[in-house]
Amino acid sequence: MARKLSMKQRYAALTRDLDWTPSYVDEEKLFPYTRFEGIKVNDWAAWEDPFRLTVDSYYKYQAEKDKRLYAVIDSFAQGQGHLSLSDASYINAMKLFIQGVTPIEYAANRHFSFLARHYNGPGPRFAALCQSVDELRHTQTEAHTLSAYNKYYGGFHSWPKQFDRVWYLSVPKSFIEDAMASGPFEYLIAVSFSFEYLLTNLLFVPFMSGASFNGDVPTMTFGFSAQSDESRHMTLGLEAIKFLLEQDEANVPIIQKWIDKWFWRGYRLVSLIAAMLDYMLPKKVMSWKESFELYFEEQMLEGLFKDLEFYGIRPPADVAVAIAEKEHYSHQAYWTLYQYSYAAGFTTTIPDAEHLDWLSAQYPDTFDKYYRPLWEKAAKIEADGGRFFNTGLPQLCQVCQLPMLFTEVDDPEVVAVRDTVFEGERYHFCSDGCARIFADEPEKYVQAWLPVHQILQGSCGGPTLPEVLAWYGFQDGDSGEYVGSADQIDWQQWHSDEPVRS
Amino acid sequence: MSDTRVRNVGVDLQDANEENLRLVQAIVADNDGAQVTRMPGLVRVQVPSCMTIRRETVETHLGREWETPEFQLAIVSYFGHISTWEDDEIVIKWDH
Amino acid sequence: MPVTALYPEYKYPSRSRQELYGDDILVHVGLRGNRLFAAPSTHRVPPAMTFAAFLTDIVTPWVSSDPELDPQGLRGWTLDGSAITPEDTATLADLGVGHKSLLTFEA
Ligand SMILES: [Fe+2]
Ligand SMILES: [Fe+2]
Ligand SMILES: [Zn+2]
Repeated sequence: MARKLSMKQRYAALTRDLDWTPSYVDEEKLFPYTRFEGIKVNDWAAWEDPFRLTVDSYYKYQAEKDKRLYAVIDSFAQGQGHLSLSDASYINAMKLFIQGVTPIEYAANRHFSFLARHYNGPGPRFAALCQSVDELRHTQTEAHTLSAYNKYYGGFHSWPKQFDRVWYLSVPKSFIEDAMASGPFEYLIAVSFSFEYLLTNLLFVPFMSGASFNGDVPTMTFGFSAQSDESRHMTLGLEAIKFLLEQDEANVPIIQKWIDKWFWRGYRLVSLIAAMLDYMLPKKVMSWKESFELYFEEQMLEGLFKDLEFYGIRPPADVAVAIAEKEHYSHQAYWTLYQYSYAAGFTTTIPDAEHLDWLSAQYPDTFDKYYRPLWEKAAKIEADGGRFFNTGLPQLCQVCQLPMLFTEVDDPEVVAVRDTVFEGERYHFCSDGCARIFADEPEKYVQAWLPVHQILQGSCGGPTLPEVLAWYGFQDGDSGEYVGSADQIDWQQWHSDEPVRS
Repeated sequence: MSDTRVRNVGVDLQDANEENLRLVQAIVADNDGAQVTRMPGLVRVQVPSCMTIRRETVETHLGREWETPEFQLAIVSYFGHISTWEDDEIVIKWDH
Repeated sequence: MPVTALYPEYKYPSRSRQELYGDDILVHVGLRGNRLFAAPSTHRVPPAMTFAAFLTDIVTPWVSSDPELDPQGLRGWTLDGSAITPEDTATLADLGVGHKSLLTFEA
């Protein structure tokens, strides 16, 4: 038998040696999508995959990861683990996760399998193939893990349908579909670089740490298990950008424009994560601000972008806005979710006194000045027997599809509104970032399926609110106020019958 | 690189089992100035400029054979650029 | 700037264009200086509606969920960024309110 090959040799054998040059079909016909974006690739063989993944080692380690995860899920179920969560309100974060994040994983699975066919080089094709399988694994493990809660809690039952219909879920849906409707290189910069390398740490790391802290061991485990694939995906993003920048100088301005666009698209999407981190975890791990400083400002701006400077790449446009917004982001996002939660697949509530104090301590310059008074007003309305809900359908940004909830950077009491008239029709944006994205490709964004406009067009089940909510697939107990909700009542019931734990 | 400040690189590992803790010890042993911090479920090791994870050192700490691809079972995230992933070592550093 | 597309003449209609609302238009309404309402709201209305009817039928029901707000005292109107002084009897069309215009006010 031959001597065992090194990782490097095995990888070369898999990729380069199993590839061939087409003889009776033009390369341009074989790979029809890799030219229209204007990206020039002179040498596909220069693509490096530092992981040097081969089929046997890929399946070996993925199987081991799954085995470990399913052992945790089983023992959690057997040990009635759902009773040892920090609080039933924690589950709201998981509802938002399965409604908003899991369908993105599935979309990524679909698109990476497309890319696994369509890059000219075998290196990126194989990396895309592995990622496609990874993303399917993430979809499945998330569904399996969280289905354990579906037996006990509302809001988990119709997430794939809701992703296509519900107003706040159009934010992640439009993000990933915008990327899928781009060319194969823009998609890499959008998803692999801007989202996975720049931003997913903000999503997974503190959030999964939060799951651990709140007694949700299966979620922590799937999160870390998925995230271990993420380090490969991040590497794909980083390899992709370095490869494209090194291939041809003409690629640099195109890539810069995509970084500007996709940083902003991704950053707006993670406003939902900011809300989860600061408001939806009963036991907090770190604030949005702290996590943004650590995972974005320190690691990306101080680290990565210093490296990319070498190629003539600068930090994303509007990064200064994101930095200024860190003091306000989660508060404005959750305040919005709070007042529209009668139409959401989860419940919301006023933070308790201890939670408000934690927010004051985390945000000493802004929370008491701008946001505590709002919660006090909501509490007063509640004390008078009401519950503050915003009965108007929110005006949405044409690009990110979030409600127009963000304020001017220099005045947190003034809602930021940008508008433009394109071919006789008026369009609104939440920010300079979103306005710029529209101005670059207006023909794309005029097609946006904006949930509020669609409701008013009559395409969402009917003209009345109950008809729309029924069309969304919401059931009794899914929406509204947490206090007095079915989830909270059940939780109290389970814990009152329970023998004292030792 | 325009400023001369030393940039850290690092890895976040699952704080899951004894083996991962030994892995952390191996990294600390091979990298001067390594700093270890913990969050629920996570352990982070960061070092100035460049991190090397050596198979031999890991094997000594684990007391068994260890292949570098096994590192994928422990890693949650990283910052820096994976410049080498060979049979004998993994190197994470900034390139420029 | 046009989209970089796989084929020439990449052109599709807006999914919110006025004709999809029959004779109606969409109007966005925003309350300045009050952060209780997180975002302006969007309404479907006939452009022949008078400003008085717009106030009683659309704006007042929306802002009334703030118990401290006096719906009689709305002032400082702007239309797409410019100040206006609307007469009660004027229609939205008379005031120049178009499809997806933004009206803002203070309370
Ligand atoms: Fe994923
Ligand atoms: Fe991923
Ligand atoms: Zn926007």
